[in-house]
Amino acid sequence: MTGRVIVITSGKGGVGKTTTNANIGTALARAGNKVVMIDTDLGLRNLDLLLGLENRIVYTIVDVVEERCKLKQALVKDKKNPNLCLLAAAQTRDKTAVTEEQLKDICEKLKKDYDFILVDCPAGIEQGFQNAVAGASEAIVVTTPEMSAVRDADRIIGLLEAKEEIKSYKLLINRVRPNLIKSNDMMSVDDVVEILSAELIGIIPEDTGIITSTNKGEPIVNDEKSLAGTAYRNVARRIMGEDVPFLNLEEETSVVAKVKKFFSKLVGKEK
Amino acid sequence: MGDNILRELYNKVLSLFKQTEKEENAKDVARNRLRVVLMQDRTNLTPELLQRMRKELVELLSKYVEMDKEALELNLDQDGDQMALMLSIPVIRAKDEAEIKAELEKEDKEKEETEAEEVEEEAETEEAQESDEDASEEENETEENTEDIEEDNSDSEEEVEEAEESDSVDSEKEEVSEDKASKKETK
Repeated sequence: MTGRVIVITSGKGGVGKTTTNANIGTALARAGNKVVMIDTDLGLRNLDLLLGLENRIVYTIVDVVEERCKLKQALVKDKKNPNLCLLAAAQTRDKTAVTEEQLKDICEKLKKDYDFILVDCPAGIEQGFQNAVAGASEAIVVTTPEMSAVRDADRIIGLLEAKEEIKSYKLLINRVRPNLIKSNDMMSVDDVVEILSAELIGIIPEDTGIITSTNKGEPIVNDEKSLAGTAYRNVARRIMGEDVPFLNLEEETSVVAKVKKFFSKLVGKEK
Repeated sequence: MGDNILRELYNKVLSLFKQTEKEENAKDVARNRLRVVLMQDRTNLTPELLQRMRKELVELLSKYVEMDKEALELNLDQDGDQMALMLSIPVIRAKDEAEIKAELEKEDKEKEETEAEEVEEEAETEEAQESDEDASEEENETEENTEDIEEDNSDSEEEVEEAEESDSVDSEKEEVSEDKASKKETK
């Protein structure tokens, strides 16, 4: 088995990298893939919290690198899904504790046993970013329709393009607020895609459910009714090669459009 | 009294509209600001450098057309993967052939003079080379650089001449598309 190593990165902090990682990872595992997530944000780990695994961590990636345990021992299994596991970051160390080579090595080893290795990248473009990217051949760049996030995403894309190992990168636009876009108060998904001229892999609507799901340590993809959850599940399907149309977020908010769609479905003339 | 209240009401309503107009533009404002800032990020052209480029372009183009120097607009734009330098120049008046010729002849003369000077300088540097090798190397480098710039200038002159042949319009839009490799190379 040769797994795909995908780094999830953004440049700017707080745009939802870790949330994206937890949700895509969970969705991929739910679809039957063997998935391992690596948190490379040494000193500022959070992926364990989003997955509700914070109390189960015994060994971290630094323990693996410093040979205090075997790689397999450090992998923490998810509560619900045996296909999913986490290699946690060390909370007490800084970015220098792991090198690019060591991360590459870990990814190579994991590739043999897993379909997907998702690397959660720290914010910034320093060593932490370089480390996270080292073992990956694909990247997902997370951004929001805000100026600072888009600018940082542009920088990250520039850095990714300069990396030979990264064969492809795709854009995920998080925290999309259809109402603000409609009133022309926020840049639209099309604006962001045009400015960054990158291929899109996901549009995730702003969802208060994310907050509660984070608080519970339960990724929102497990909530079948959540719109953001559906959007993340769609991203996972696209990663697996399926051709899934993007959610039309504006439609969801407009009652008239819903009624129209309902009737057009009745008549059988759905566009 | 009643008149005043009405007027106040009218102003309030008006200001409400004005506010929503402003807010409606927030998206465009963000998009445009972002475009400018990204072009600077991608090209490493600081506002000062852009200003200088603008100044030099004005000097160059003024030889061929009389234009509104203040209104010259210089923008970097993204067209797909290709980066384009957009130059918009309001042309006040097309110059006569004679005028342009005179201007060019004058410049050619100046060029010859500076070239002659350069030859002299070169001779000097050769002398200096004997005494101090390191210093002369540096000078040679700077000379090479100026030569490069001159070559570039002559290229763009040709382009402008072509454009000049087409009839003069009040505002002529020129697009100088640079074969600048895509943004990502900047890293």
